[in-house]
This record gives sequence, C-alpha cells and structure tokens, in this order.
Amino acid sequence: MNDKAKIQTCTLGELMIYQIALSIEDGILAFHGFGSPLVQLALHLAKRNHAPRLILVAGATYGINPTPPFLTPTTNDFAMNRGAECHLDIEELFDLAASGRMGRMFLSGLQIDKWGNMNVTRMEKNGKLTLKLPGGGGGCNLSCDTDRITIWTAAHRAPPDDQGRRRYRLVERCDFVTSMGHRTTESIHRSRMSFRRQGPDCIITDLGIFDFNKDGHAQLRAVYPDTSVELVAENTEFDFPVAENLTTADLPDIEMIEFIRRMDPMKIHQRELRQADRQRDFQLSGA
Amino acid sequence: MYTQDDKRCTLGDLVTHVQTGDCVAIGGGLSWREPMAALRELIRQDIKGLKLIGSAHGIDVDLLCGAGVVAVSAESYVGFEQDFGMAINYRRACEAGLVKVEDNCCYTLVQQLRAAISGLPFMPIRSVQGTDFMQLHPEFKTMTCPFTGEQLVLVPALKPDVAILHAHYADQHGNLHIEGPPVADILFAKASAKVIVTVEEIIPHEELAQKGVTIPYFYVTAISEAPYGAHPTSCYPFYAYDRKHTACYYQAAKQGADSFHKNYLHPFVYNCKDHDTYIEAIGGKARLARLEQWDASMEQWMKLYE
Repeated sequence: MNDKAKIQTCTLGELMIYQIALSIEDGILAFHGFGSPLVQLALHLAKRNHAPRLILVAGATYGINPTPPFLTPTTNDFAMNRGAECHLDIEELFDLAASGRMGRMFLSGLQIDKWGNMNVTRMEKNGKLTLKLPGGGGGCNLSCDTDRITIWTAAHRAPPDDQGRRRYRLVERCDFVTSMGHRTTESIHRSRMSFRRQGPDCIITDLGIFDFNKDGHAQLRAVYPDTSVELVAENTEFDFPVAENLTTADLPDIEMIEFIRRMDPMKIHQRELRQADRQRDFQLSGA
Repeated sequence: MYTQDDKRCTLGDLVTHVQTGDCVAIGGGLSWREPMAALRELIRQDIKGLKLIGSAHGIDVDLLCGAGVVAVSAESYVGFEQDFGMAINYRRACEAGLVKVEDNCCYTLVQQLRAAISGLPFMPIRSVQGTDFMQLHPEFKTMTCPFTGEQLVLVPALKPDVAILHAHYADQHGNLHIEGPPVADILFAKASAKVIVTVEEIIPHEELAQKGVTIPYFYVTAISEAPYGAHPTSCYPFYAYDRKHTACYYQAAKQGADSFHKNYLHPFVYNCKDHDTYIEAIGGKARLARLEQWDASMEQWMKLYE
C-alpha cells in the first residue's frame, strides 16, 4: 500500500499502453503480433480492466488468455504462454481473421501514411532498395481481414538532422505498402476491394492520437500534456485536420500503472521508446 | 512417402538431402526451436544458393545470410524483435543485392502451402489487394469469383524442396513429437518434398505414442539426434533461449561482415567439426545447465534475460 501512495506520475510508455488498451472492445477476439511489448501489455491491461471477456490471442505462441508471469524480450517464449486456456495454430488464427471473426489487430510501420497504409518491408530511393526492413509478418493479410486496426508507433517525433532534414515516420507516401489502410496510394478506397472489414480507426504515437475521418484521412484527436498541435504538425509530413473536440489524452490510474510495472519488471516495453522519451512522465491528477 | 524402418543418420548425412539451389522451409519461429545445428552443418558443407520461405524468423535466416548461402528470401519477417532489433547480416545481404527480396505474408504462405498439401494449383484469398505485394509477386493473380462476383487474389501452390525442423522427440521410424507451439512445422512437413529433422532425443515408439505424434513418420525423410540442436534458440521445456550467446552473435554481426566471419562463423561454425564441438565452444555443459534450469525459480528465469 505504501508503494501505491508513492506513484504520482506515469511514463510515456504507460500512457501509450493505456491508450492502446482503450482501443480494445470487450468480447472481441484480438491478437498481438511479435516485437510489440506496448501492445502485449495493453491487451493484458484491457482484459484486466474494461474488457474481461476479451479473447486475447498471444502473438507467436497463439495461446489464448495466457497469464504471463513477466514480459520476455522475445515473443515466442514459454513465459508468454503460461496459463493459456487453449491454443490456436497458425492456420486457425489466420482463418479466424479471414472469416471476419478477428475484432482487432495492432500494426506499426517505419512509414505510416495519411490513409493508414504502412511500410515495414523496404525503403527505396529511385526504385532502388536502400534499407531492408524486417518485413510485416502477417500484417498485410490482417490489415485487410481484421475488423479494426489499432496503429501505433513510438517514433513519431522526427528531429531534423544537421542539414535540417527530417526523416518522417508519418509520411505523405510509403515507399512500399506492406499493410493496407483506408485508401491505396492511388486513392482507391478499401470499400472497392472485396474486404468486408473496416480498417484502422486510430494511430497512437509518442506525440498524440489520431482517428480517421469519413474520407479515411488521419485526423488529430488528442495531444499529450507535454505536446501540442504545432509540435505534432512539425513532426508529420502530411497535413492533417484537427478534430473539433481535440482533447488532452487521459492518463492511466494508479492500479493500472502498478499492473504494468508488475507485469514488465524488466521494462522490456521501454525498448520501443527512444532514450529521451523514456524520461518523459506525466503528473497524475489528484496525486 | 518415406517408409523405411530406421531413419536415423548422422547430422552430416542429414543435410546432404539439401541440394544447392533448393527451396527450403525452416521450422520454428523467432527465438523458439530453430533447427540451428542442422543449419550450421549446412554452412559447413557449403550447400548454397538457397531460397528460404517462412513466417517469422530471426537468427536462423540471419546466420545463413551471414554465411552467404542464401540467394532468395521469401520470409515474412526476419529480425530480433525488440530484443536486439534488425537482422544485420540479412539486411546487409539484401541491400548488397546478394539476397533477392521476395518477402511474403503469413496467411498468403499458409494458403500456398495448403494448396500444395491439397494437390491444388492455387488457393484464393481476399487480402493482399491494395498492397505492393501484388507487384512484388507477379505470380499472384486476381479473378472474379464465379459465385459472388467479388475480386479475389489467387496464390499458387508452394511445395518446398526440403523442410528442416527441430523436434523434441522422434522414434526411429520418424514419427515426431513437438511440445509447445508448432508454428508452421506441420504445414511445412506436409507440403515439402523432403523433411529432415534433428531431435533432442530418439525414444522407443511406445514412449513416443504416449506423448502423441505431432507429425506422422511417412512425411519424414531422415532424422538425427542432436541434443541442444536448437541452441541458441529455445527448446522448452528442455532449455530456454540463450540471450547472452545471441548478444555475442549480434555484436559480431554489428561490427561488419569481416567481424562476423572472424568472431562468429569461424569459432562457432567452421572451426566446429560437429555439433559436440559446437557445444564445447559455447561453454559446454556448464552453460547449458543455466539454460536448463529456467524453471528453478522466477528470478532464475528472468536472470537469463538480463
């Protein structure tokens, strides 16, 4: 109980985990992939709080509703699978998505465009490969088949280099489209494809939160206590509309923060954050 | 169909089933149950020009790329996740044009393997449309569904020449038992022309039957006993992931291709004439004991990942 009294702030990582958790509806089947500790923690946080009936499918092990004793540095580890109620295999997991029964998936990208298309495959210059990225796993298929996608990135901030050039994470156009958002780069809407599901509905970043407007264009919905519309605009290559009811994002409560710290004693999730962002924290109201 | 009574062979003989230029499916996934001993032997025998297919992989594909035996990668993901980040040898080989990039996605691969398993020329999917995989894979076609009028993508059957797996147990007939997530191993075994397998232990059939047959013998071409054959990836419940050895691997790769040859490939692959010598090179039984005792306590388990 003494520890509880001491928590007066939350970190950026904990804020992002909470916001990702808020995107998860109760009673759906949701799946986290690999290499995404913020999302792993968010799913467990959601299930423990507002979404107890969530069918939580762990990435890589395909265990359902596991209760990991601690977060591990790689995803396909027995610890992440401990306590699983039952298991899927690779075919069944992707069949569930293809048949429209996966409610939500979480995807990220080294490039994210205004329609929510993402690139994790390759960076190019004049059609030539300049940087081979790890690849998207099943992200391409799931971006088309899953009902809703939460997009997240902890590297929205794009500081200028010596020559004043910025390498944007939120870009006008992806060099390669690994996963599908609302419109193709030729602006063809996803409703023209034979997909039956709706696509991304939020982008949660280290600077703020976007949703998507009727056109399928990213629109700024919330900033953080230490960011502003101007800061987000400066770090985003495309122009974006701002929601009329723009808010400052809510922070998690103390129980949630304690849960996250208990589940991730090695602070694995901070590896997704830049060094400077690991120092960012936010005063909890009433603390 | 592989029906011989006794499929046991040496690790050296096992990998001779792989030919230069083969399309190879590697079992396991990320830091879990990669057939590392077999891959090191493949490198020692200089079997190259390989086309790799798979879902989510890491050190297995990166090692083969670092050793220069890969011509094409059609993997879905190759990396070290949040643990170490990008796969450096893989990146270097792709960016230098030594490895042709033909990335795929998990479900597309599943459907291509299912087509092969079902004896069909293709399988349809809805996904992939609207993405650049359609350009990267001109062999993917679209068609209008004769029943619903929807546009679907057809992906052709994929029959790997060889699947290389690491399992917990086999009997001498080649029945396999895998504990924990099979990842794509069962699909690979059913779709591939040949299946070669290293196992932690070969046990009598009665014992294996009790544990349960994950993959029936007639898919399996040959087996070789290689305890700790997945090291430095995990093979729970026998042993955990060797993060410290992987860190040493990653450092060697990070400092350049020459460093990787000198500081990793030579001491741990080329200079190890066989798997036993490799086990000595990584620190022998003392090192493995640490990995085996992952379940002694939660603290001990976490300590492996510091």
